[in-house]
Amino acid sequence: MKKILIVDDEQDIVESLKFVLEVSGFVCYTAFNGEDGLRLAKEIMPDLIILDVMMPKINGYKISRLLKYDNKYKDIPIIMVTARSQLEDKAIGEETGVNEYITKPFELDQIVKKVEEYLGKDEGEGAAEGEA
Amino acid sequence: MAMTKFLLISGDEVKDQVVREVFSSDEVITTVDETLVFDTLKVEEPDIVIIDGDLSGLDFKALCRKIKQYPVVILLILGETKHNKDVTHNVNLFIKAPIDKKLLSATVDSALKTRQSLLKMTKSNQELARSLYQLNVMYNTSSQLAGSLDKDKLLRIMIEGLEKSLNFELSCTLTFRSEREPVLIIDSLYKVSDRLLEALKLRAILSYKSLLEDPPLDIKIGNLKIEKNIKHNFQEYDFSILRYDNMFAPIMLNDEFFGFTEIYREKPFSTEDATVFQTLVQQVILPLKSASLYEELKMTNRKLQKLERLKSEFISIVSHELRTPLTAIKNAMDIILSGKAGAMTENIQKFVTMGKRNSIRLSGIINDLLDISKIEAGKMDFKFELTHIEPVIEYVKNNLAEVANEKGLTIKYTPPEESAEVYADSNRIEQVLTNLVSNAIKFTQAGDIEITSKVVNARELHYDQCFEEDIKKLQGNYLQVCVEDHGIGIERKDLNHVFDKFAQIENSLSRQVGGSGLGLPIARQLMESHNGAIWCDSEINKGSKFYFVIPVANDKSNFNMIKKQLIQKARSNGSTVAIIKIKSTNEVIENLINEENLLNKTYMSNSLVEKEGSLTSLSMVVIDGDKPSAEFLKKKIDTLVEHKKNVYGECDIMYSYEIEGEVHEKDSYSR
Repeated sequence: MKKILIVDDEQDIVESLKFVLEVSGFVCYTAFNGEDGLRLAKEIMPDLIILDVMMPKINGYKISRLLKYDNKYKDIPIIMVTARSQLEDKAIGEETGVNEYITKPFELDQIVKKVEEYLGKDEGEGAAEGEA
Repeated sequence: MAMTKFLLISGDEVKDQVVREVFSSDEVITTVDETLVFDTLKVEEPDIVIIDGDLSGLDFKALCRKIKQYPVVILLILGETKHNKDVTHNVNLFIKAPIDKKLLSATVDSALKTRQSLLKMTKSNQELARSLYQLNVMYNTSSQLAGSLDKDKLLRIMIEGLEKSLNFELSCTLTFRSEREPVLIIDSLYKVSDRLLEALKLRAILSYKSLLEDPPLDIKIGNLKIEKNIKHNFQEYDFSILRYDNMFAPIMLNDEFFGFTEIYREKPFSTEDATVFQTLVQQVILPLKSASLYEELKMTNRKLQKLERLKSEFISIVSHELRTPLTAIKNAMDIILSGKAGAMTENIQKFVTMGKRNSIRLSGIINDLLDISKIEAGKMDFKFELTHIEPVIEYVKNNLAEVANEKGLTIKYTPPEESAEVYADSNRIEQVLTNLVSNAIKFTQAGDIEITSKVVNARELHYDQCFEEDIKKLQGNYLQVCVEDHGIGIERKDLNHVFDKFAQIENSLSRQVGGSGLGLPIARQLMESHNGAIWCDSEINKGSKFYFVIPVANDKSNFNMIKKQLIQKARSNGSTVAIIKIKSTNEVIENLINEENLLNKTYMSNSLVEKEGSLTSLSMVVIDGDKPSAEFLKKKIDTLVEHKKNVYGECDIMYSYEIEGEVHEKDSYSR
């Protein structure tokens, strides 16, 4: 099963994301601040990371930069999630190697679809529910 | 009568005797030595020089010419020696020898009278010249004063004016750099001794305290700053300068105290000097007042800018804080509604759906509030590009079809056969259209909602009188989109007000339908940013038509859009935009871009290159915190163009430039 790391300081949002992704057949790991997020990413080597920008300790851009400039982790897709929608922020995201950029408020389905684009649909329970 | 001084140039004892006899009550100096003549003229300052015409070995003509440089009357005694006529031409008077005593006395008498009036004339001439000079200084000073809004500079101009016109030895000027910082400016010909400096400080403080009944600031020797301008270092002033003649003037406008100035001069001041002093000091007051107002204005402006920044920061933080919990609420309800969390009863589904619907509505209101404040602060980001509008209309139609169907309504749209590209931000157009179609759905109970689009000329537009202001400025071809509904309609008197902020909230009927009341005001602002317009037409109980137009893309409208954006961006940063448009028939233009550094380096510049057929044209945009003056730009462009001509030889270059959308001057060059 594919592993997804969710890093966001909003615990409720992390919970709901975790729920829908697990229903879709992914294994989710969670972290509520940048520091834990970065440590977990290196520890578990996830297949994809969902990352918030504004977080205590280390912000999302920094994590993304640290991972994307490291050969060991640079291939892990990163989906950046943030309330900010300014264009300049998007530019920073691109510069730091973020693969996708989703602005809050987002639809849960939207995230699931994006994740599936990168990881493919899970053959387990996810396949039973999904329809082409 | 005062004693008259005579200088007799003669070696003849008889003549000497006669002269001394005739003027026995006066002073007579006799000499025969030519060099002594001039020393005597300098030291003794005689009134009359009597020259013995029989004196041998003298060049009379040259001697007389030299003596004439002194204010004396020259009397020649003609004797046996024959002289050329021009010798008598060079003297004031002459008598013949032997000397007739009565004649000599009478001649000298009349000569003295002539001399007196001559002296008076010279004196008044000198005075006139002096007054003229002072007047000139005053004029120069006042024109210099008018050109500055810097307090320090204004005072400097005043002190220099005083120095030029009154030649003071020392001046003390008290001023305030800020409310709390008193400064004593000392301008002196020579150095100032330490104890004199202390005395001057003390004197300034005493003057300050005696001038103001209730001094706002307690100035002490300790907190009084000194600024010294010394001309020569080889000598030093001490207490003795305090015995010089002095003049003092406070610098006050009505009740406001700016400071004072005091000057010292060894040569006593005349009444004219006093007038000059007063006038010069008076002249500086008004510019000083303007300067302090200007300073206040700058400060307020800075505060306002800070407030504006805080406001948008506040809004973005608040909206972030509001959106995050809202997202969590929506997510939770989505999970319940998806059934993934377990089965639910019909009632649960009904109420959770209700909750979801309202959370979507709330997030819409937050977005509207954020949009309107962004637009108002000029911080809205647009992504303008050449695009067709029909796909946007299709997208909105499909997006809202379901909502319309729920009410039993249909949205109809047939794309036109002919269309045109527009320079627009598709997301924003989508936003405007979504708003118009949602409104149409909201206010219609039965029937169709029809969307049409076509290219029209500004002259063919139909609109109600109340939209005259918005639409009359439109020119050329536009892409017009119309959303027509069959709803409750809008009263004619309310037509224009539907675009006002929070209009819906005031209107109780439409209040039931919900919404932030900001949709249409946002749409109007967005259209304005697109150089377009939005308006409506309605009949009560029959329905409404909402129109909006965007200029059809062409070189001119594109350029205007880019320009508009830049000006807006610069304004939101508190900067000024100057746009320079340069046209040339050859390739010179391409290279002009690289010459931007010819413009002042502090200017951030951007370039836009337009191609108009074979004509290449370049627009340079200068953005800066300070407003560049028209002269400054003209000078810079002249340098730029001249430089290019030197490098590329013959070429035709035309340019125009404008500051903040206002064309200042047009000029063209060709060789």
